[in-house]
Parts: sequence; structure tokens; C-alpha cells
Amino acid sequence: MKLIYTDSLVVGAGLAGLRVAIASKERGLDTVVLSLIPAKRSHSAAAQGGMQASLGNTVKGMGDDEDIHFQDTVKGSDWGCDQDVARMFAHCAPKAVRELTNWGVPWTRVTKGPRQVVVNAEKVTIEEAEEAHGLINARDFGGTKKWRTCYTADGTGHSLLYAVDNKAISLDIPVHERVEALSLIHDGKRCHGVVARCMITGELRAYIAKSTTIATGGYGRIYEVSTNAIICEGIGQALALETGVAKLGNMEAVQFHPTAIVPVGILTTEGCRGDGGLLRDKDGHRFMPDYEPEKKELASRDVVSRRMTEHIRKGKGVDSPYGPHLWLDITLLGRKHVETNLREVKEICESFLGIDPAKDWIPVRPTQHYSMGGIRTDKTGQNPQLKGLFSVGEAACWDMHGFNRLGGNSLAETVVGGMIIGKYVADFCQENTLEINTGLAESFVNKVRNEVDELVEGPGTESPFVLRKEMERIMMNYVGIFRNGPELEKAVTELQVLLKRAKNLGLKCKKRHANPELVEALRVKRMLKVALTVACGAAARTESRGAHAREDFPQRNDKDWLNRTLSSWPDENSLTPELSYEELDVMKMELPPGYRGYGINNAIAHPDTDKREKEITEILSELGDNADRYQRQQALMPFEVPEALMARNERLCDNLDRPVSAVPGEESEGEQAL
Amino acid sequence: MSQGRTLTFNIFRYDPQEPDDKPKMVKYQIEETPGMTVFIALNMLRELQDTSLQFDFVCRAGICGSCAMVINGFPTLACRTLTSKYPKGEITLMPLPGFELIGDLSVNTGKFMRELAERLKLWLQPNADDVDVHRLEAPMDPEEAAKLYELERCVECGVCVSACATKQMRDSFVGAVGMMKIARFELDSRDERTVEDFYHVIGNQDGVFGCMTLLGCQDNCPKDLPHMQQIAYLRRKMAVALV
Amino acid sequence: MAITKTIKNCSGWLDMSQSVSGVILAVFLWTHLILVSSILLGADAMTWIAGMMELNFLSADGHGYPWVVTLIAIAIASLVLVHVLIAVQKLPLSLRQQIALRKQMSSISHGDTKLWVWQAITGVGILLMLPVHLWLIGSAPETIGPSGSADRIWNDGVWMLYMPLLFCVELHAAIGVYRVAIKWGAARDLNSRARMKKIKTIVSVVFVVIGLASLLAFLPHA
Repeated sequence: MKLIYTDSLVVGAGLAGLRVAIASKERGLDTVVLSLIPAKRSHSAAAQGGMQASLGNTVKGMGDDEDIHFQDTVKGSDWGCDQDVARMFAHCAPKAVRELTNWGVPWTRVTKGPRQVVVNAEKVTIEEAEEAHGLINARDFGGTKKWRTCYTADGTGHSLLYAVDNKAISLDIPVHERVEALSLIHDGKRCHGVVARCMITGELRAYIAKSTTIATGGYGRIYEVSTNAIICEGIGQALALETGVAKLGNMEAVQFHPTAIVPVGILTTEGCRGDGGLLRDKDGHRFMPDYEPEKKELASRDVVSRRMTEHIRKGKGVDSPYGPHLWLDITLLGRKHVETNLREVKEICESFLGIDPAKDWIPVRPTQHYSMGGIRTDKTGQNPQLKGLFSVGEAACWDMHGFNRLGGNSLAETVVGGMIIGKYVADFCQENTLEINTGLAESFVNKVRNEVDELVEGPGTESPFVLRKEMERIMMNYVGIFRNGPELEKAVTELQVLLKRAKNLGLKCKKRHANPELVEALRVKRMLKVALTVACGAAARTESRGAHAREDFPQRNDKDWLNRTLSSWPDENSLTPELSYEELDVMKMELPPGYRGYGINNAIAHPDTDKREKEITEILSELGDNADRYQRQQALMPFEVPEALMARNERLCDNLDRPVSAVPGEESEGEQAL
Repeated sequence: MSQGRTLTFNIFRYDPQEPDDKPKMVKYQIEETPGMTVFIALNMLRELQDTSLQFDFVCRAGICGSCAMVINGFPTLACRTLTSKYPKGEITLMPLPGFELIGDLSVNTGKFMRELAERLKLWLQPNADDVDVHRLEAPMDPEEAAKLYELERCVECGVCVSACATKQMRDSFVGAVGMMKIARFELDSRDERTVEDFYHVIGNQDGVFGCMTLLGCQDNCPKDLPHMQQIAYLRRKMAVALV
Repeated sequence: MAITKTIKNCSGWLDMSQSVSGVILAVFLWTHLILVSSILLGADAMTWIAGMMELNFLSADGHGYPWVVTLIAIAIASLVLVHVLIAVQKLPLSLRQQIALRKQMSSISHGDTKLWVWQAITGVGILLMLPVHLWLIGSAPETIGPSGSADRIWNDGVWMLYMPLLFCVELHAAIGVYRVAIKWGAARDLNSRARMKKIKTIVSVVFVVIGLASLLAFLPHA
């Protein structure tokens, strides 16, 4: 048995994982990163649009601050998020952007003077301030009140991932590539590392560490059509689930992106609509204003996706061999804009559709896009059940997204979460000693070895590819954008049948080293469990919140469901996860549940909401009129971040004498506060 | 368009870890579907005909650079190669030459790129070390930022390396990917390295002066990066520094 | 900005020397061919040119100094030597390199790389044939002229050397100059490169035609 010892072990070499690794290494800790693929190929690279941070440099972002970013995030989450975490996040986002500048990210900058932009399908000229020249620019994204999404043309994720990986290389952080973690080593209370398999040689290794951070991204690939890379299979969540101890949070919260191309499901960035692109139906009619007169195409993602599905159900979709779709029209932005700021979109259209988006409309439909749920962690990123197990990024349910994530907040979460949690991970490693129990490690290695033996030599006959296809189909058909009781029950039953069949997997290719079929078989068993947590969580949650839309329970029900779903799998041989719930305390919220700003306000209120609102009014009036926004915030919901990140963020408007309001009359065209 | 055709794939097969295995070309046939890419075809082949077939895909959207292989004589990204591009319906797939072969169409580009980055120190070496992340960031010329992004679009797919005869003949040659990255940092006003520093890295036979301008890099780059202009620019810069 | 002495390698100088010597040789080659093609205008034209080359206007008796030609031949020979010594390092000399090159070219098809292979082949051809030509001329400079040259080409059978040499040098020089231009950044975009490539082909063809015509034009004088 090969044993590898380290202080800080990170599973997953995307932005979140690398950022934590860097934080560990900077403290002088020994750090090892495991990855299925070379770090720079991680799915973080696919985030085209940008990351949100309230810098407020562009004239359309002036007056922005942490408070507004926080409010947008909480509302976007449909009050499902952890408000402390959303605060920590909003506070640190500008710091992360500025730090990345120093690591080499060529953020797109503000050019002073007039500039033409498309807002609400009309060309508008905005005038950028002289003082803002050369500072980091921002673009408009759905669900945000200010232009807040920092970007580098349309390759933000790419340039961030490259900068952060380059930083990791400069610190000499080893990335063990083509290695797949298959099991956590733990004793029921403390996590000691992972058992991993080298996908080239087939060797099984035990990585023993003080802290184990799972940063393996989402579980989009349990769905048939997803914008996710094919490696986003939820194995990280499965690792935690299979301990039987660690719990996953809000697994039913799955986001669908409005504009992935048909049929292949590749994403076209939200920037398309942010920059002024429109959605049209089979008659060429721009239908979003009919449903959402205020935010139109730029309503929150879950809303746009549902409106599109509604519209298709009305028979307004364009028929195609792959089912009905709608059109995304960016022709009005002009060829120059498309070829410079939306070039990746142009490339995708040319390569996968054979069309020119500066001339033709793009066929799009809502497609699985993001997993809000994941490994449940506390504010420091640590799993409450297993000490030493951390999780960060899309893999985690740190819970700043609740039931719906805003565009530009996922890329931001990777680096901001990584920055904050990285410090906590390093603290943990410095405060704890390495506990080595080779017997324990060996037992976990043997378990995985037996699993591989059984697959290669056993009498099983089921094909992993067939089971996988079945699972994807079930999730797509019954656990999609609109959900209902009978279909969810059906999904659960059918998935359980698959999970039983998965005990009888057998391989055609008997190699123990580089064997893609073996990889698939090891994964599909784990993915089925993850899929079941999603389906069971969705079936149990009898309300609609954010991306979780129940046709049979269309109201948001704060009275009964203002909580977080937790799922665990204590009995290995069981066919269902165990669900429990964690209440969200309204009395501690800075922003008590309110109207999100879409459709009719039909939420069933929580009894504490009124009480908390009164309390807030009292607290604020006690403070008096002279209190600044920091004092007011502190009085309502004090939050903490690591010492080094506590300082306030400086903004351009702090140094300007003249008023900083944006174009008059356009201050809040977005969602109304409360 | 070309629905219902039968495609013939000639695929390079070799498992270097099997003691008895020898490199060979194996023929497969598959029904073409509308909008089929080499990505879709290879996955169908693996699922339905040969589960041992090795190849690499990650984003399957032309973004991550994992899936470069030689398709009918041209190294390119397999995920965004439509099968309808080949009127004869015959497609030959070879692994990228010049990289360690993992098996069949899978090569170890990651290891290569990491070693290159370590050797050439391909990261920003900021001239201001202690930047206060709480303060307003230093301004940068918007034009410069745009130019930097242009050079940063490389996805490390390895096509330029495999398409470069010079690199194939001389292992220590840094290749287009190395030079493009040097050009990117040379342009970056935040980087403290001077022309002299870069000269030490690429002002030699393994760098710009070893390049024979065969332009396999330029002609095959899936991201259409300006290798030709950038390498020429670096060469002039290095030559001026020398004189 | 000059690079400090600590830099030991001289590959920069070598690379530049290769470009410069190549361009000088190409310019000489084309001038040379145009001068020789004076035979197309008649024997008198060529005699006059040959006399000019021997600087006959400087000598009292009007016969000039044929050794000037010998000097030119020696100068060219040494320039060629420099060019060869540098260029040869870039060729696949070891077996391992040749195998790597062959393997790559068998799976990847690329126009400019094929051009380079042609350049290498013609380079070797030139290396074998040019010394003979230089010796013939340099050792008997006074024979250059309509009848002397014609005699050499057609009666002594030197056309068997000149024909392949002509093809080799014209291909080699045009490809070389095209590559030098690209190498140092004369092509700002891909269109101008395509244009330069076209010009390169035309130059090769035109000079081969002129050369062949000139060789044939000596025939009546033999």
C-alpha cells in the first residue's frame, strides 16, 4: 500500500481547490492537490461571463457596495442562503478581484469618456469618469441592481484559472494529475485523507492529511443535458455521502441556465443578455417583457428558465429534431461587439452550430447548469459532522446561494470562498497534528481494492454505460425545471432500481490500469446515490423556492420550509438517503424574507418575519441618523472573516468630491428592495 | 445534410502498459447522426463497440484544450470537429505526436505543460510585491489589458507542439506555447522582468533563435493565436537586446 | 539595453548571421542570374557585362582583371561556408531526430514544413554542386563570355550540373527569403503571408525560366 503524507490535501484543482492550496502553502504547510485532469483544464475555465464584486468603477456601477451585493445575493437565493456567509462573501469579493490582479488577471478596464452600450434593446451612450480610466470594469448580469460583474472579455474563468494555477506553480504546489479520489478515510469523527486511484497505472494510494478539502465542483452530469464539463459528476459529494456521517446540504437545489445551445448543451454566457441580447419565440416575438415587464431578459436565471419553459409549453417554441427551443438574438449588438466581447460565443456558434451569431439567431433552451447543493459546511468551510473535512466552491453547500445562484456569483465563490476558507484550512492545519492510523487507512484501501476486484473479476453483467444513461434520463424527465410529486416519486423508485442493478455491474474490459470502463463503473455507483439525494430532497420539499419549482406547491412557504435540507447515507446497503432539516433563523437575519420581485408575491410568511422587521426598525432608530452603513450593518448582523480580510474596501467614490450617482433616474431599475 | 451515412474511423490503438501490445490502426464503423462531432462519435464507439478505447475530453466545448488529436492529418480539438466536414466519411485519428502516450488517443499534455511552466517561470512576477487588496487597484491601460487577454487565450492543447517539426527534433526547444506565454508576460506592465531576464530564457537555440519559422503552430492553433507575429516580435526584441 | 557579457551562447548572432548571409547570397544569386541572362540579348551584351565585371574600364589594355571574378567566387564560397555551418545545425543530424521528424510528418500534413524539407534537400544539393561551379569559374575566370561559357556548358557537359543546380538554388533562395521575411516579422497578418508565399513561388518560377532560357541561349555559341 502506498501512503502519501501531507498537511493540507485538496481534492480538485479548479479555482476553489487551487486557492485553498495556495493559502495552505503560503503558511508553509505541505500541500498536495489531486485532480482528474491537468489543473488548467478544470471546469472553472468555462465560466465566460465574469465574477461579481462591488468595485463600483464603471458609471453604471457607481454607488455599489457590499450592502447591495449582499441584498442581491440573498434575494437571488430566495432567502435560502446563510446570510452570514453571504455577508462574508460580499465583503471579500473586491479583495479577491484585486488580489487576482496581482496574480496576473488582465481584467477588462474602464475607458474614460462616452461609450455605447445596449440596455433594454436600445443603444445608450454612457460616459465613464475620467478618474475611473484604467480601473477594473464591470458588466450587467441578471438579478443585480448595479453593473457589478468584473470580466476579462469573455474568458474570465479561463484567465482566472490560468492566473491562479500559475500562482500555484510558482509556489511549487504539486498537483497529482489523473488521480481519482474514491473514498474518504475517516473514523466517524475525524477525516484523515482519501483513498485515490491513479487512472493511468491503476495504483491505489492512501493520502493521509491533517485537512482534506473537497473542491470537485458540481454534480450536473447526473442530468442528460448539462452545460457542465463531463467531469462534473458529483464524485466529491459522493465521497462525503459514503462516509455515512457527513451530510450534504440542499441537494435538490439545481439551477438551469436559460441559454445553452441546442442540442449539445454548451453554454452561451449570460453576458449575451447582459450586453443587450434578447430572447425570441418561433414568431420572432420578444416574449420576456410579457412575463417580467421590469427585468425582462435579465431576471434571475431560475425565473428566465421557467418563463422560457412556460412559453415553450404554450406552443411558442421552435420545433427541432431535438425538441422545441427558443431563439437568443444578439445580432442587434453589432458585429464588432460580438467579435470582441463575445468571441467565445461566436466560436461556439461557428464550431457546433455552423452559424454566425452576428447575423443569425442562436437556438437555445434551459439546460442544467449549476448545483447549489453540496457538502454541508459551517462558515469556516468545515463539515460539521467530520472534523478535518472541508469543502469549497460548487462542491460545497457553504450556502451563499441558497436555492438559486446569481450569474457571476459562482466564479466569485470559487476565489472568494477559497480565499476565506483557505485561511481557515491553514489555521486548522496549524492547530492540529497529523493523526496516522495506518490500519484504518489500510482498511479503506482494501475496501476500494475489493470493489475494483469485484468489478473486474466478479460475475456481474450490468453495463455501467447503460445504467448511467438511464439515470441521466430519469433526472432529466422527472427532476427538471418544473417538478411534481408523482414524477418525483417515480424518479426515486426508478433510481432505486438502478442502484440495486448497480450491485451487479460487470466489465467487458478487464484491465486494472488505464481502463475507461472501470472508471465509469466506479463512478456510476456513486453518482446514483447523489442522484437519489437530489430526487428525495426534491420530493420531500413541498414548496417552491428559487430553482426548486414544484407545480403542485407553487408558493414559497417560509412558515414550514425556511430550512436547509440535509441528506446523509448512514446505512451503506439502504436504497434511500436519510433526510433531516436545519432551520434558518429569521431572528438573526439582516434581510428577513420578503418579496423577491418576480411574478406575484404569494409567499407564505414565516411567523418571525414581522417580529424581526420591527426589531430591525428599532435597532436602526436607536442608532440614530448619524450611523454609517457599517455601523448599521454591524448592529443588525455582526459577521466575522479572518483577521487579514477584515479591513474595509476602498472605492473610487471614496476619493471623489462630486456626487457619484449613475445616470439620473436609473439608480434602481432592478428588483425593488423588500 | 449527411444523415444516415456510415462513417469509418481508423483509430490508432496502443496500450504502452500491456507488455504484448503493438501500435496498430483499428477500423470502426458507426452511423452518423445530425450535428455529430468526433466527441460524440468516440463516446458512442466506447459505449457500444469497444469499452477499452482511451481518449480525453473535459469541457467538450472547445474551451479546456484536453481533446487535441490528429484528425485526417491535422492536429485539432476533437470536440468541435463536426464529422460532416469529411465528405468521404473516412476519419483517421492519431494521438498528438511529441507527447508521452498514455494509451490510444490519450497523451500526457498536462505533465508537459507543467514542466514547461516551471522551466520558463511562466507566471506573473509582479513589480509591486505587497499590493494592498483593500485599497483601490492600480490603473492599467485598457488597451494593454485587451492585448494581454488576446495573448492569454492559449488553452495549452499541445497542437502547436505537435505541429512543430523543430520541437519534434529538439526536445529542449520551448516551442510556440512557451514563447507565446513569454510574449504575454513581456507585454505585461505589472511584470518586473526585463528584456535581459527574458533573454536568458529564450534568447538562445532553445528559444527564438532555434525556431525555424515553419509555422505549424500558427497554421493549426485552434484558438488562432498570433504565433507568427509574436515570435517575430520576440526575436526582434531579443536581437535588438543583443546588438 | 545591451545584453551583458555573462551570456555565453552566441545563438542569437548565429541566427542573425544565417538570415543575413542567406539574404546576401540570394541577392547575389538573382543579380548573377540577371547578369548571365544578358546572353539573351546577344553575345555582345554578355561580353560587355563580363568585361565590366572584370573591371576592364580600369585597366589600360581593356582586358581588365579576371582575378576579380576569382575573388568574388572566393567571397561567395566563404559566405556559403558560413551559411552552411550555421544551417546544418538545424538539420536532423541524429537518427533519433530523423525518426521523430518522419513520425511527425507521417501523421501531420503541413505545407510550410514540407517547404522546409525541400529547402533542406535543395540545400544539400547546392552543397554538393556549388563547389564544382565555383571551382570551374574561379579557376578560369578569363573564360567567362559567350563562347567560353557556351563551350563549358554544352561541350564539356557542365549543363548536367547547371540544370539541377539552377532548380536547387532558385527553390532554396526564394523559400529562404520568404522564411527570413516571416521570421523577422515582415508579415503583419495572415493575408500578407499568403501574398508573400505567392510572390515566393512566382520568383522561383521566373528565375528558373530565365535560367533555363539563358542556358539554352548559349547553345548557338557552342
